[in-house]
Amino acid sequence: MKQIAIYGKGGIGKSTIASNLSAALNEMGQTVMQVGCDPKRDSTRILAGGRFIPAVLEEHREKLRVGKDEYAIDLDRIVYRSPGGIYLVEAGGPEPGVGCAGRGVLTALQILKDLDAFETYGIDVAIYDVLGDVVCGGFSMPIREGFAREIYLVCSGGFMSIYAANNIARAVQRLGLRGDTGLAGIVCNSNGDEALERAVIPAFAQRLGTAFVQFVPRSPVIQAGEMEGRAVVEYAPDSREAEIFRNLARAILANDTRVIPTPIAELAELETMYREHLVKK
Amino acid sequence: MEHGRSRRKTPEPEKCRDPYLRCAFHGAAQTALGVAGSALLAHSPQGCEYLVNNAFAWQACDYMEVITLCTKLCVDEIVHGGEELLERTILEAKDLPISALFVLSACGPEIVGDDIVAVCETLQPELKFRLIPIECAGFRGSQYDGIDIALDAMLKHLVNRSGEKIPNSVCLIAPHANANPTWIADLDWVKGVLAQMGIRVVATLTHRTPLAELEHAASAEASLLLSHDAGQKAADHLSAAHGIEQVCGGIPLPIGMTNTERWLTALGERFDAQKTAESMVVEGERMAMATCRRKWPMARFFYRTPAAIVADATVGIPLVRFVTEDMEMTPDLVALYTSQRSVRDLLERELDDLDLAPTVVYGTDVYRTRQALAETKPKVVFGSTIERHASEGLGVSHVVEVVKMMRQFRMIDREYFGYTGILDLFECVQNEWTMAWRSREKRYEARW
Ligand code: SF4
Repeated sequence: MKQIAIYGKGGIGKSTIASNLSAALNEMGQTVMQVGCDPKRDSTRILAGGRFIPAVLEEHREKLRVGKDEYAIDLDRIVYRSPGGIYLVEAGGPEPGVGCAGRGVLTALQILKDLDAFETYGIDVAIYDVLGDVVCGGFSMPIREGFAREIYLVCSGGFMSIYAANNIARAVQRLGLRGDTGLAGIVCNSNGDEALERAVIPAFAQRLGTAFVQFVPRSPVIQAGEMEGRAVVEYAPDSREAEIFRNLARAILANDTRVIPTPIAELAELETMYREHLVKK
Repeated sequence: MEHGRSRRKTPEPEKCRDPYLRCAFHGAAQTALGVAGSALLAHSPQGCEYLVNNAFAWQACDYMEVITLCTKLCVDEIVHGGEELLERTILEAKDLPISALFVLSACGPEIVGDDIVAVCETLQPELKFRLIPIECAGFRGSQYDGIDIALDAMLKHLVNRSGEKIPNSVCLIAPHANANPTWIADLDWVKGVLAQMGIRVVATLTHRTPLAELEHAASAEASLLLSHDAGQKAADHLSAAHGIEQVCGGIPLPIGMTNTERWLTALGERFDAQKTAESMVVEGERMAMATCRRKWPMARFFYRTPAAIVADATVGIPLVRFVTEDMEMTPDLVALYTSQRSVRDLLERELDDLDLAPTVVYGTDVYRTRQALAETKPKVVFGSTIERHASEGLGVSHVVEVVKMMRQFRMIDREYFGYTGILDLFECVQNEWTMAWRSREKRYEARW
């Protein structure tokens, strides 16, 4: 089973990338499970036809309330099969402002493992869509505990998204040294400034020692699909955008390389790199 | 770089840096459990609650009178927050026959953001007893910091605005912040002295203190701090908020002849009881010397022996003079568990006054103590069981176990303060001296 995690700055479009990737892989005949690791539990909304599915931690809590443990959870109540046949899971988490979402994510992933979810459904590819930036140790848990082996960073040409990606690379560097996890590549989800993005993101990828995997343009087709609650390969199967996600899926399936990244240590260096490409553009 | 090629090894922890003191949660529990007729609710996992049991023993609580509760947090409360469980637990305690419920938060709930203050404020109208939240997660500092945190919460939540001042009265602060395992005897000695001088104790912060005493603490005329490690902030607060002046501030606690004399004299002068103080000194010194004449302690064998003192500041600072003047040894090392400004100032004043220049380690841990012992090579250490092990192989002949931060069973409390306290310390030294002649090896040789 291939286990990949998608990390990136909050609002950069990780769920869009993850969902469209899941749909493309599913179309290729892979059995896919997408696991949303965000208390907002909106990662799988597009694939679930625009709905919010029940979260693992909610179900777990119910069981704890009646004195039972996670083994009393029925897998069918936490794993939702999308109309297209993709298995969807939302970790869930606490209300805003209380509790520890990072610990929640890990608990949910552990429950999936304890209940043999991947074996039960014969999963070929598990995709973890992880909350925003790595804000605390808890959010690096999918990496630390070896749930995700290949990390893909999503960023755009915005400086702060590259800055966040560099920070996440630092976490991957630290944690990759301990385990069997590494950075597998960078995906650009364009914010519209294509000229800059096509210059700066490959250079950034090279600096981290990883591959620039795919450029995803800003497109009304993707947005319209999202509004409809459908992935692009279903909503507009013949579009250029659908082909882009198929390419991304092929590249990820074919990839067997992951590296311990070499993030940029100084903010000034990152700024200089960014400025150079701003000027070139 | 291919994954897995260049593995960096996690650095091995080189040294044992075990601290002597427990966490702030423990100190706060020691303080809360000193309030009689109250209950303590640990908002914590079960592991931290062990410290409450320990504090229970430290305060010699009676299980017929003091109740302890725990929310026993598990992963669910770490993930979702534990405020709901805390609310339920407080409401379950609703009918307990208590005057106050102290709610103490440990690290876990504070890290995930449980607001125990808000929970207590919300539930207070439904309860007959007082709810006092104490945010004392272990990461806030040592057990002595926890004592300061708890005293602060108590003073701010419970003490009524000053009414009439009671003439010749004191509020005793932090008697339990003391590494003497039988500190309750020190407190009793202080109370005895105060009674003889006609000084009334308005409140003790805290040991078997009824809530009403705490509420009226502001009516004291003066405060008397019984620790060098904690409680100074409480004394400062009482002074600033309620005009209560601190007495015997800035002088070492009454351990040893000179310290006891100075302390009693300062107290007598403040409360116009000089005559009583003088006669206590005369009578106390006469009793101590007469006892020594009769019992023949072997102190003379230690004349000018290089010594080390490893303790908290409460016992350690006064011991410097005791070791120098009463035992006639030479302190070459003073290692104190704490390191705040007031501790440094007091020790430095004492060392200047005694014209001593030992190695001084503030805020020591077990490793630093061993290092310092290896460098200074004392023959006698005044410390605890820990130094008996930490000085292994360093040529230390005697470890006089005067302090015990670990729980130790004692049925009878024996003070270090005052003149009987001096005899108690002599006894510790004498027994250690005697025991050194009875090592396993020597016994073995003698028999065969
Ligand atoms: S340090 Fe924190 S977790 Fe450890 S015992 Fe103290 S309160 Fe509990």
